[in-house]
Amino acid sequence: MPERARTLLWLIIPALAAVVIIVGLWPTDQATADPEARAYNLAVRLKCPICAGESLAGSQTDLAKNLRLRIDEEIAAGSTDDEIVAIFVANYGEQVLLDPPRSGWGIVLWAVPLGIAAIGGVAVYGLKRKDRDTTEVPS
Amino acid sequence: MIAAVGFVAILVALISSVVLVAEGIRASRTDNPDPARVKIPTIGLAAGGVTAFLALELAILTHDFSIAYVAKNTAVATPFVFLLASGWAALEGSVVLWGLMLSVFTWLVWRGVKKGDGLGVLALAVMGAVAVFWFGLMATVANPFALCTEVSNGFCSATSWLPIGDAVTPADGVGPNPLLANHILMAVHPPLLYVGYVGFTVPFAFAISALVRSERSKVWLDRTHRWSLIAWIFLTAGILLGGWWSYEVLGWGGYWAWDPVENAALLPWIAGTAFIHSAIVQRRRSMLQAWNFVLVIITFALTIFGTFLTRSGVIASVHAFSLSAVGPALLIFLGIILFGSFGLFAMRASTVSSSPRLESLVSREGFILVNNLLMTLFGFTIIFGTMYPLLVEAFTGREVSVGRPFYDRVAIPIAFLVLLAIGTGATAPWRVETGKVLWQRTRVGLNVGFVTAALTVVAGVGSVSIVAIMGLAGFVIGNIIAFYVHQSGRAHRGGRTWPTALFATVRNDMGYWGGQISHIGIVLAVVAIATTSVLATRTEVPLAVGETAVVDNYCVQYLEPFSRTEPERNVFGARVAVLDRTCSTVKTVLEPRLHEYTKFGQVIATPSVWTGWVDDVYLNIAATDDDGIRLKVLVFPLQWLLWVGGFVIVAGAVLALGRKPRDRVTTSNQSDERKHADA
Repeated sequence: MPERARTLLWLIIPALAAVVIIVGLWPTDQATADPEARAYNLAVRLKCPICAGESLAGSQTDLAKNLRLRIDEEIAAGSTDDEIVAIFVANYGEQVLLDPPRSGWGIVLWAVPLGIAAIGGVAVYGLKRKDRDTTEVPS
Repeated sequence: MIAAVGFVAILVALISSVVLVAEGIRASRTDNPDPARVKIPTIGLAAGGVTAFLALELAILTHDFSIAYVAKNTAVATPFVFLLASGWAALEGSVVLWGLMLSVFTWLVWRGVKKGDGLGVLALAVMGAVAVFWFGLMATVANPFALCTEVSNGFCSATSWLPIGDAVTPADGVGPNPLLANHILMAVHPPLLYVGYVGFTVPFAFAISALVRSERSKVWLDRTHRWSLIAWIFLTAGILLGGWWSYEVLGWGGYWAWDPVENAALLPWIAGTAFIHSAIVQRRRSMLQAWNFVLVIITFALTIFGTFLTRSGVIASVHAFSLSAVGPALLIFLGIILFGSFGLFAMRASTVSSSPRLESLVSREGFILVNNLLMTLFGFTIIFGTMYPLLVEAFTGREVSVGRPFYDRVAIPIAFLVLLAIGTGATAPWRVETGKVLWQRTRVGLNVGFVTAALTVVAGVGSVSIVAIMGLAGFVIGNIIAFYVHQSGRAHRGGRTWPTALFATVRNDMGYWGGQISHIGIVLAVVAIATTSVLATRTEVPLAVGETAVVDNYCVQYLEPFSRTEPERNVFGARVAVLDRTCSTVKTVLEPRLHEYTKFGQVIATPSVWTGWVDDVYLNIAATDDDGIRLKVLVFPLQWLLWVGGFVIVAGAVLALGRKPRDRVTTSNQSDERKHADA
């Protein structure tokens, strides 16, 4: 069998599987997220105001328990996620956000790691290039 | 009496380490450096370290409450295991444990140093210098043997630094922090982490020694690669058991919270992981000499930084159990290490750096560089995220927090890329991988990956990220196993039976195949992390006695409450049956509990977990009222795979230790790669 045909044979199964995956994951009408999952996702993003570095979801303190109930109430009352977060920021300040907003100082938090990644990429590329300039014979 | 013995032991160790530094430096400068010249200080250091540790344990076990540490951290009623663990659970004790390990490791290294080995003798002096710091801490700001000189309300309220004079003995001690005396894992997890932390001192010491002596060779790496791997194994096991403890004890249903102190343990692990990978490149391809010095310095510095985060209280964290003058001391030590090491490195970099000869990015070393890049990025992001609130507050006075959402968003793409790099890179040949070889060594994984992903979809999983992770997992494991079978097939055609061929393949290159087993463990762990975070069900149900509730594929029934009094705590529990979805077959009966620690006025909810073939069902009492309980019911799919994956990671690394000490220049798969590379 010619090599190209054999290569194609290896691709039959991945191609069939890809069809199954695409059909299976094709976005259907999104059901509204269930309130408990929404509440948990919000509690993970918010810091327990009196705790040492714990989120509302992670803390066992009474305040955290009450605030989790508050989230449940707001969701039941029809508030959006953004509205609920805004209520917490208004009450407890910016420090309640475990995910600092990507504005103002928050940009630094993202820019610096991306900068590091860029420098690292350039360094690796440089290592490659440097080699091309020298005419060293590998041992 | 015990206090005096312990304190004298600390002084002996301190003096020995000072002598070790001085004599080690002098001996290393002679023409024929003789380790016998540092024999007495090395043994003095080890004896001091061991004696100090034993004295502290003895004082704790005999309830010598005249020693402030014992009175503060233990009580008569503390169970035996937690008494033992109290020897390292609090600040001063943890420093003693650190000293014990460092002094014993120094002695072990000394045993391997032969006459004429200047590199080894000077490395011992470097270890001595690190020991000066730790025993110096014990002799000053973190004295574990300080005596209690004043008692108020039954507690030790004042101490004397020197263990001489009149001690006042409280009738009973305060006892350990309830969170720390709740589970057996808390006794095991810190020593494992510490072996890991202290273990990285050895490659660091050899690196500094090689830099000082301007030694270009890779001898320092060859001699310490086992130490690095052992340190890495213990660090890995320590982190995993820490996560397990968090899962079993803390009751919020997670094992990792991106807490600063968790990050403190993860950072040296990340740097250490990068180091053991890039060390392979230098040992096999003589590249990255300078980078390896940088990585080992960073790894060691991060162990100190981690200790600083945990022990200084600078950063608020649930695990930061102490506040003291030890923090500034650690910070100064960290500064000395960073400035000293990198200053030395800058002076020597031109003489020790090897000429880079990266022929192709698509090669084993190319993919290891990708690993290094990802690990560096990951580590740096975590350091930056941890320090960011401090920086913002220092510059603007505003209080901000960085937590799980930020780290998750960085960790998830990195995890995908790491899996992709493992799946492609682990089987790539050194030097150059041609397109043909790349295709031959990834096509099986490609098929396995796509089929795994498709099966995941067919099984009803609708989450794109889970399907992608499952696909990548199949890709990595498929490639590794296909390569294994391929390599063994060569041995088989060479006349061996299949079983012996499969065995011989691993036997001939335990370093490589141990690493591949660890890679498979990483894959399993990543899959578990993904399923338990994306596919978990979390709910809270009010239950009166006899009532049932259906959660996910399970049904829970509140059978009855119970309560009992144990030493130091009152227990209130609920007997809850876990049944199948139709509430007809009982799978197990769990007992989530509330522990009330009267002395601390603290109530801690202790969860109870059932592990099935697929899911963990995790119950925790959220609240009690007149009608019954509010029960937190969490269902985590494939949670057990995280612990299995962790075990596989560690087992693979242990197998890799079995590699023959002398690096094998040609292994079966390398000669094969040569052929491909030349083709």
